[in-house]
Amino acid sequence: MSLAFLIGPLAIGGIAAVLAGIISVVDSIVNNYGECKIDINSGQKSLTVTGGSSLLQLLAQERIFVPSACGGRGSCGVCKVRVLSDVGPILPTELPYLEEEERENGTRLSCQIKVKDDMDIEIPEELFNIKEIRGVVEEINDMTHDIKEVRVKLIDPPQLEFKAGQYAQLESKPYGKIKEPAQRAYSMSSPPHDRDHLEFYVRLVPGGIVTTWTFEELQEGEKIRLIAPIGDFHMRDTDALKVMIAGGSGMAPIKSIVLDMWEKGDTDKPVWFFFGARTRKDLFYTEKLKEIESKWENFHFIEALSEPTPEDKWDGEVGLITDVLDRYFKGEMNTNGKPMEGYLCGSPGMIDACIAVMTKNGIPEDKIYYDKFA
Amino acid sequence: MNPPPVNLAVLLFASVFTSNILLANFLGMCSFISISKDVTSSNGLGMAVILVLTVTTAVNWVVLRYVLIPLGLVYLRFIIFIVVIAAVVQVLEMVIERISEALYIALGIFLPLITVNCAILGVSLFMFIREYSFVQTVIYGFGSGVGWWLAILALSTIRQRVEKAPVPAGLKGPGITLITIGFMAMAFMGFSGMLQVQ
Amino acid sequence: MKMSPTLQKAQENMQPGEITGDGFLGDDTRPLVDIIEADEERFQALGLSFEEVAEQLTRLLDRGREGLGEPITVDGRWLVKVDEARGFLPCPFEDGIFRKITATVTNRNNQTTVLVSQLSLHLLGHHHFLEGRGSSFRMEPEAARDVLAR
Repeated sequence: MSLAFLIGPLAIGGIAAVLAGIISVVDSIVNNYGECKIDINSGQKSLTVTGGSSLLQLLAQERIFVPSACGGRGSCGVCKVRVLSDVGPILPTELPYLEEEERENGTRLSCQIKVKDDMDIEIPEELFNIKEIRGVVEEINDMTHDIKEVRVKLIDPPQLEFKAGQYAQLESKPYGKIKEPAQRAYSMSSPPHDRDHLEFYVRLVPGGIVTTWTFEELQEGEKIRLIAPIGDFHMRDTDALKVMIAGGSGMAPIKSIVLDMWEKGDTDKPVWFFFGARTRKDLFYTEKLKEIESKWENFHFIEALSEPTPEDKWDGEVGLITDVLDRYFKGEMNTNGKPMEGYLCGSPGMIDACIAVMTKNGIPEDKIYYDKFA
Repeated sequence: MNPPPVNLAVLLFASVFTSNILLANFLGMCSFISISKDVTSSNGLGMAVILVLTVTTAVNWVVLRYVLIPLGLVYLRFIIFIVVIAAVVQVLEMVIERISEALYIALGIFLPLITVNCAILGVSLFMFIREYSFVQTVIYGFGSGVGWWLAILALSTIRQRVEKAPVPAGLKGPGITLITIGFMAMAFMGFSGMLQVQ
Repeated sequence: MKMSPTLQKAQENMQPGEITGDGFLGDDTRPLVDIIEADEERFQALGLSFEEVAEQLTRLLDRGREGLGEPITVDGRWLVKVDEARGFLPCPFEDGIFRKITATVTNRNNQTTVLVSQLSLHLLGHHHFLEGRGSSFRMEPEAARDVLAR
């Protein structure tokens, strides 16, 4: 029996195999970017990485965390890095996020730049302080019906230095239909002198990946991963009168700042802290703050409810926080002529509304501080 | 193999105009109609087609001459040609991405789209039927590519103007496009008396 | 139907856990391009314009934000309650990021209520996407017509 019929299939197989071989050879040549050296800030730091991935990813692998609001998808424009080497023309995906000046000085979106060769880059100093942290959840406490306090003991590194007011990125683990970890930002509510712990207030957001995980999955004793400390929201060391406003879980950085000032004895300037909520059951941590108020002459704590129910038996301030704030500006705060600063933490709407009241009452816009990631 | 005695310059002119693969043979229609909505994309696709046609036709000639004919497997040309086309497009994609990311993004989806373009297979098969020599094959492949590019560029610019014309609702889009292509083909048919290569 | 890479990527981004916990497709198993096409047909049949609907609902959402979390009545006809959270959500089509601002909008005349967010209104107006069946932000074309009815 002649095997001539085999020639056909063998030829097809053979040719296909040769072509596949050529493809994989070309692939390994073309897609093998080899080792690339990334030089940061003119020699301040030098990394050797395997090319082929985005600059954002490779830096994160080397523990340098460039902030991103969209997870590297190219839709937020936050991950800007100044690239001094030639990495090709600006991609159409980057153009919408770069100003004229940035385009000229080499600023690029690090999530869109693929590292194929050695490169020199420039990044802000603060990014070097941001670390990856492993911790264990020591306690989870309910503060209100939709806010939990999460207290984490640091394992590696065992201590963290940070400025009161900064935030951390908490990483959730896969659960339910969600197959990948996700990261979201939460301000530290613990003061910096509690060096081996970090505390957070997490408010449940319906459909939120990390808040739902915190409320439904996270257990005491569980080990978690965080990136910290990030952000430039912190107390400015001046003698100005400080007006601080928080709503809901926005209490966290303000609480950290207040406790920090109290512990350091930084108590000679007036501090007014306004905490706004809807009903009594949305208030929390108020006892401790009133205790501090009784001992610290220059510290004033004002709680305001916008919709107190009859059962609340509320005799404190009533109204939207912006109205209460305005009243105090014109009355009790006695602000005549004094330099003032504003510190805000809460929802974007609340922040915008409070900025309006503050500027109307004499606080210049550049002296009003808030976390821009909000 | 018995290459026809065609002058190379004539062959080039013929592949681009008189025997235009799109308008004379009506091959490569699907991406022709769908991509010609946009002039920049049409340009990008056309250039990619020139590249792919030249390379694949040449490679297919080599495979035909040195593998299929000696082994008596000419009947397998359909399968082999398609496999070669797919592989060449893959390799081209990788190389372009490496060499110029901006060009890769500009060509984008069009590179892999070319694999399913029947004009590519068609040109290789015509090369076989007409028994072209290697040089003739390269000229024919390149010329057909240029012809395809010119045709899609022309159609896309025509469509820009037709967009603004008062076309009856039922004919908008594919309808008027096919009618336009028909007119273009008729115009090119006028060439057919000039130079015959098929 | 074959989807372009933009739609393909958008569909991937719409899975649970990519951008939001529940994703944008609910329990809908149809490909993204089919969902959009079906809703485009229904909008056309009802004589609605995606851009206009998005514009009007955005106006109501912006007015609702003045309530700072409290429900407020807009134009005497709509009750709007806006909830805000910190952070940003990228659009699944990778063309921008949006604050986490959601609103329930109720037409007091016919009691129709819809749940919208800054992102869902961008998806509606720009991408003609009303979210998959079963998604909590899914807006049926009839509901869009009814909630805006004068």
